Amino acid sequence: MGNSWFSRWHFEKRETTSNLVLVMVPVLSVVIGLIFTGLFIALTGKDPLEVYLLMFDGAFGSAYGISETIVKSIPLLICALGLSIAFRMQLWNIGAEGQLYMGAFGATWAALTFPDWPAYQLLPVMMVAGFLAGGLWGLLPAIPRAYFKVNETITTLLMNYIAILWVDYLVVGPWKDPKSFNFPISPQFTEGAILPTLGTSRIHMGLVFGVVVALLLYIVLNYTRWGFEIRVSGESPAAARYAGMNYVKNILLVMFISGGLAGLAGMTEVSAITQRLQHGISPGYGYSAIIIAWLARLHPAAIVLVSVIFGGMLVGGYSIQTSGFSSTTVSMLQGAILFFVVGGEIFVNYRLVRGEKGGK
Amino acid sequence: MKLTRKYLFMFLSILLILSVAVVGCGGGKQASNAPAAGSGDKIKVAFVYVGPVGDAGWSYSHDQGRQYLVKEMPNVETTVVESVPEGADAERVLTELASKGNKVIFATSFGYMDYVEKVAKKFPDVVFLHATGFKTASNVGTYFGREYQARYLSGLVAGKQTQTNLIGYVAAMPIPEVIRGINAFTLGVKEVNPKATVKVVWTNTWYDPAKEKDAAKSLLDANCDVIAQHQDTPAPMQAAEERGKFGIGYNTDMSKFAPKAVLTSPVWNWGPYYVKTVKAVMDKTWKSEQYWGPMSDNIIDLAPFGPMVGEDTKALVAKKKDTILKGQWDVFTGPIKDQQGQVKVQEGQKMTDKEMLGFDWFVQGVDGTIPSAKQ
Amino acid sequence: MVEMINITKRFPGILANDRVSFSVKAGEIHALLGENGAGKSTLMSILTGLYRPDEGEIRIQGTPVDLQSPRDAVAHGIGMVHQHFKLVKPFTVAENIILGLKGIKEVYNLKSIDESVAQLSREYGLHIQPDSPIWQLSVGEQQRAEIVKILFRGAEILILDEPTAVLTPQEAKDLYKTLRKMADLGKAIIVISHKLSEVLAHTDAITVLRGGRSVGTVRTKETSEMELTRMMVGRPVMLETVKNPVNRSSKVLELHNLSALGNRGQFALKEINLDIYGGEIVGIAGVAGNGQRELAEVVAGLRAIERGQKKVDGNDLTLASPKQMIQAGVSYVPEDRLGTGLVPNLNAMENYLLKGVQRMPSGFINWKQVAQETAEVIKKYDIKVPNPKNPVKMLSGGNLQKLLLGREISGKPRLIVTMYPMRGLDVGAMETIRSLLLQERDRGAAVLLISEELEELFALSDRLAVLHGGEVMGVVDPHKTTFEDVGLMMAGKRMAAHG
Repeated sequence: MGNSWFSRWHFEKRETTSNLVLVMVPVLSVVIGLIFTGLFIALTGKDPLEVYLLMFDGAFGSAYGISETIVKSIPLLICALGLSIAFRMQLWNIGAEGQLYMGAFGATWAALTFPDWPAYQLLPVMMVAGFLAGGLWGLLPAIPRAYFKVNETITTLLMNYIAILWVDYLVVGPWKDPKSFNFPISPQFTEGAILPTLGTSRIHMGLVFGVVVALLLYIVLNYTRWGFEIRVSGESPAAARYAGMNYVKNILLVMFISGGLAGLAGMTEVSAITQRLQHGISPGYGYSAIIIAWLARLHPAAIVLVSVIFGGMLVGGYSIQTSGFSSTTVSMLQGAILFFVVGGEIFVNYRLVRGEKGGK
Repeated sequence: MKLTRKYLFMFLSILLILSVAVVGCGGGKQASNAPAAGSGDKIKVAFVYVGPVGDAGWSYSHDQGRQYLVKEMPNVETTVVESVPEGADAERVLTELASKGNKVIFATSFGYMDYVEKVAKKFPDVVFLHATGFKTASNVGTYFGREYQARYLSGLVAGKQTQTNLIGYVAAMPIPEVIRGINAFTLGVKEVNPKATVKVVWTNTWYDPAKEKDAAKSLLDANCDVIAQHQDTPAPMQAAEERGKFGIGYNTDMSKFAPKAVLTSPVWNWGPYYVKTVKAVMDKTWKSEQYWGPMSDNIIDLAPFGPMVGEDTKALVAKKKDTILKGQWDVFTGPIKDQQGQVKVQEGQKMTDKEMLGFDWFVQGVDGTIPSAKQ
Repeated sequence: MVEMINITKRFPGILANDRVSFSVKAGEIHALLGENGAGKSTLMSILTGLYRPDEGEIRIQGTPVDLQSPRDAVAHGIGMVHQHFKLVKPFTVAENIILGLKGIKEVYNLKSIDESVAQLSREYGLHIQPDSPIWQLSVGEQQRAEIVKILFRGAEILILDEPTAVLTPQEAKDLYKTLRKMADLGKAIIVISHKLSEVLAHTDAITVLRGGRSVGTVRTKETSEMELTRMMVGRPVMLETVKNPVNRSSKVLELHNLSALGNRGQFALKEINLDIYGGEIVGIAGVAGNGQRELAEVVAGLRAIERGQKKVDGNDLTLASPKQMIQAGVSYVPEDRLGTGLVPNLNAMENYLLKGVQRMPSGFINWKQVAQETAEVIKKYDIKVPNPKNPVKMLSGGNLQKLLLGREISGKPRLIVTMYPMRGLDVGAMETIRSLLLQERDRGAAVLLISEELEELFALSDRLAVLHGGEVMGVVDPHKTTFEDVGLMMAGKRMAAHG
C-alpha cells in the first residue's frame, strides 16, 4: 500500500457543506452517469453523443416533445412534492405509487358515480376524492408509525402492492367496462370528468396543480408556524415535543398530505391521460418521485426542475427507440445515473483529500 | 450517527425500489434494418410491441413477420418500439412514429385500440393496422387470424396425451379472443377424450414470465398433466417440463425451451400478411377492412410435433386439418353446449363471425369462470 | 513518548489549533485542560488519526509518523476512550473487543480471547468479566470495557475524553487508581478534562489550551487552582457567588402528592410535595437516577402525572400539555441541550424561534423580527456565533447553553426548570449561567435547579430539596445545613427539617 497512488487519497469529514457542493454533487453524478453509459454505448459500436442528442431532441427538441415531457413530469412533480414534506419530517414514505393508485381509484369512483355532472362540479369532487383516498392510504401506515413506532418504510412499500392489486381487481371485476369485450378497463369517463388540456396537446390542468402546490409548499415550509414545526420535527422529535409541538399529530397530518398529493397525481392521470381506470396507470411514477425529491434536496423549486428532467428522460427513452436505438440504453442510463447519484452522496458529507507530500 | 444510519437506510431502500422500478419501466431490444439502398419507392413502416421481442411469443412472432417483410421488400424501412404499455405511453409512441414519416403502423396489442383510434384521426395519411381489435376507420384496419382452428387441433393432441384427464390452461385476459381459443381447444380435447376437463387460470397479463409460471404450477399442483397457454412467454411450458408433464405452447414454436414437454404449439405467421398489406398501401389499393385470416391463408399453423406424440394422433390431426383447410368443416359447428349443459349452437349450425368475435361464455368441459362486468 | 509539534488545523472559519505543541512521557498522567472550544478535541482527533493536521509534526518515540487513519494510530499504539462509548450493547465485552480487530480468523476461539481479556483485566485491576453483555454493565464498567479494548489492541498511549463526566465520585476515584497503575506500568495517559479539582488531584502534568493555542504546560505539584483558572480563561474569575438576599413573592409552582412513572413503568416519583415561590431558587439534590429527570419532565408537561396535582400560579395544570405549560410561563433547560433543547442542524435564529413560534399570532413567521431578537440575545449574553446561518451544532458547549438559557428567559418566564445547567461547561460560561439564574431570581421568577454538584447547589439555592428513590427526603435551608447532612439524605435518610 505504502506509496501507491490510491493510498494517498482518503476521505475526510466535512465540517460544513456549502450550497455549491449540494448542487454540484448531483450534477456531476449525472454527468459521470452519462459518461459511464456512453462508454457502453460506444462499445456497442454506436455514437453515445448521437444517442444523447436524439434523446434530448425527442424530449425537448420539438413542441410536441416538450409537451409530452411536461405531461410525463406532472405526476412526477406532484408525487415528489408530496414526498418532500414527508421526507422533511424524516418519514420515509415509499408508498407514493400506491397512494397514486388509490387517488386514481377515488377519482374514478366519483367519475363513475356522477357521470352526468358538469365539469365544474365533477372535477372538484374527483380532486377531493382522489386526495382523500390517497391521503387515507398515506394515513394508514402513519398511525402505527406515530403510536407504536412501526417502521413506515416497510409498511408504505407493502401497501403499494395492495393498492395496485385493488385497482386491478376493480377493472377486472366490478368496474369493468361492459363495452370492453371483457378487456380489464373501466368505462371511459364522461366529458365532465376530464381535465381541460392546453390546446391540442396533452398538457393538462395538473400542471397548474403542481406549480401551485410547489409554491404553497415553499411558503408553508419557510414562512409558517406549521412548516417550521415540520422541519423541527424532522430534525429532532425530542426537541419538537419539548417545544410544545404535537409530534404525533404532525406525523399523521404530514403523511395524510403526502399521500393526498400522490392521490391528486393519480386523479390527474386518470382524468386527463387515460380517461378511465385501467391496469398500469403509473409506470412507477411514485418510485421515480422518491429520487426526484431526493435529488432536489426536498426544495420545491428544484423538484419542479428535476421532474421535468426526469419526464424528459422517460420521453427521450421511447424516442430513441423510434430512431432505431435500444430502449435498454435508457434503462441503463437511468440505472447508471441513479448509481452515481446515490454513490456521490458521500461527497456531500465527506471530501477526498490528497495525502501529505511524500506520504510515509 | 443516528441520522446517518437513517439516511443510509433510505438510500438502500431507494436503490432496491429503483432497481425494481427501472427494470419495470425498461424495454427490450431494438431492431432496425439499414435503409434500403437506392431511393425508389421507399416506405417507412413501424411496429409497436407490447412486450420485448425476446426469442419467443407474441411480439417475437410479429417481429419474425417484420423480418420477412424486410427480406421480401428491401425498399421497406422498419422501426420497432417494444415494451410499450397499453396505456398513456402508447399514444405518444404512435404519434411520434406517425410524425416521423412512417406510412404504415402496425399496433400489435388489443389494448392500443383507443390510442390507435385517437392518433389515426390526427394523421389521416398514415395507415394504422391494429391486431386483434375491432374498431376501424377509413385509415384504420384490423387484422387477426383464425387461431381457433389451430387451437382445436392442439386440443386433439392434448386430449390424446392426458392421463389424469385434467388439462390446465394459463390464460391472459378474459376477452373474446382468449375465450374463443379456450373453447376451440376444449372442443378438440372432448372430441378425443370426452371425460377430460380443461381448467382455466387467468393471469390478467400478456407478458409476465413469473406470473405465468406460477399459474402453470398451480394447475400442475391441481393434478393437470398437460398445460396449454395463451401467454407470451414459454414459462408455462418450462413449468410443465420441470414437473415431467406436457404442454401446448403458443405464438411461436416453443419446443426449444421445453423439448421434453411441448407437444406442439399453434404458431403465427404474419409475414405474408405484412407483405400483402404494405404492397397494397404502396399501390394505393389498400382499403380498411377487418381481416380475419383462416388457416388456409397460412397465417396460423401448428408447429411440428414433439417426439412423444403418437402416430395415430398425428394422423387424426392431419385428417381434421385437411377438412378445415378445405373449408368442409369449421370448429364451432353445432351441437355445442355451454358449461350448464344448455345447447347454445344447434346441430348442423355454424357460429357466425360476429358471434365468435363476441364470445363471452365457455363450452362444456371448461372448468373456470369468466369474470363479468356489472351492468 | 508522544510529541506533537506546532500542530495547526483549520476548519472553515475557525482556527481550531494554532501551532500547538504538546508532549507526553511514558509513565505519566497528563491532563489536557481547557474551556469548551479551546481545541482539545481537535488536537486529540489529530493524534488518533481522525483529522490530519494542516501543519506540524507528530513524533512517537522520536520518530515522525504520518497518521492517515484511525487504523494507523492504533498501529502506533494510540488508543482513545471517547466520552460516548463505542460499544455494541447486545455483545459481550470480549466480542466488543475483537470487533473490527485485524488478524482475527473467520473462525475464532472466543475462549482464548476471554482468557487474555481476563488477564489484562487482572493486570490493571479493571475488574471486568469478559463474557458479560455490555447492556448489563454500569457506566463505570462500560468505561473499563473500553479501556480493556484499547489495551487489547496494544495501546501504549491512552487518551480519555472527559472520563469522569459520567461517573460517580467513587467510580472516578477508582478510575484514577487504575490509570495510575497503568502509568506505573509504563503507559502514557492523556486525560481531557475541564474539572480543575480532579486534574489537580490526580495528574502529573497539565497542558492548558485556550482559543486553539497552548497556554503552557505546568507540573501539577507546582501549580494552583487560581493559576490554572487564570491560564484557562485569561482573566481572574469570581469563584464566590455574590447573592442578593432572597425576596420571596407568591407561590408559583405547587406539587401535591404527585406521582409519576419512569420509562420502565415503575414509579419514579412518589407522593412529591413541593412548592416554589417567585424570587427563589429551589435546588434539587440527589444521586442521578433518583427521579430528577422525571421531576423536571413532569413540571415541563413532558411526562404524564399518575396521581396528585400540579398548579402554576394557582391554576391546576395537572393534565396540561407541553404547549400549555409553555404558555403558563414555564421554561425548561433540559439536560440534553443539543437534541432536545436545541436542534443541532438548525441555525441560531431557528433555534431561537423554537419556543417563540408558538406565540406567532397569525401562523406566519416574521423572520425579520426573529433575526432582530436573536441578534439581541446573542449580543446580550455574549454568545459567540460566527455565522447565525450556520447550524448550531458547530457552537461550543458554553455558547450552546447561553443560547438555550437566553432563549428560555427571553419570554420572562414565571418558572425556570434547569437540569444540570453547568455540566460540562468551562469556568467562564459557568459564571455567566450562574449570574443569569440569579438575575432571573431577582427579577421574581421561580427557579428549579437540578444538579449533582453540591457546591453549586449550596451556592445558588435558597432552599434545597433532596430526592431519593423518587421521594423528597426533606427540604432544607442550605445556609443552615452541612454537606454531610445533605449527603445522608441523598443516601436515603429522612430529615424533618422544613425550609
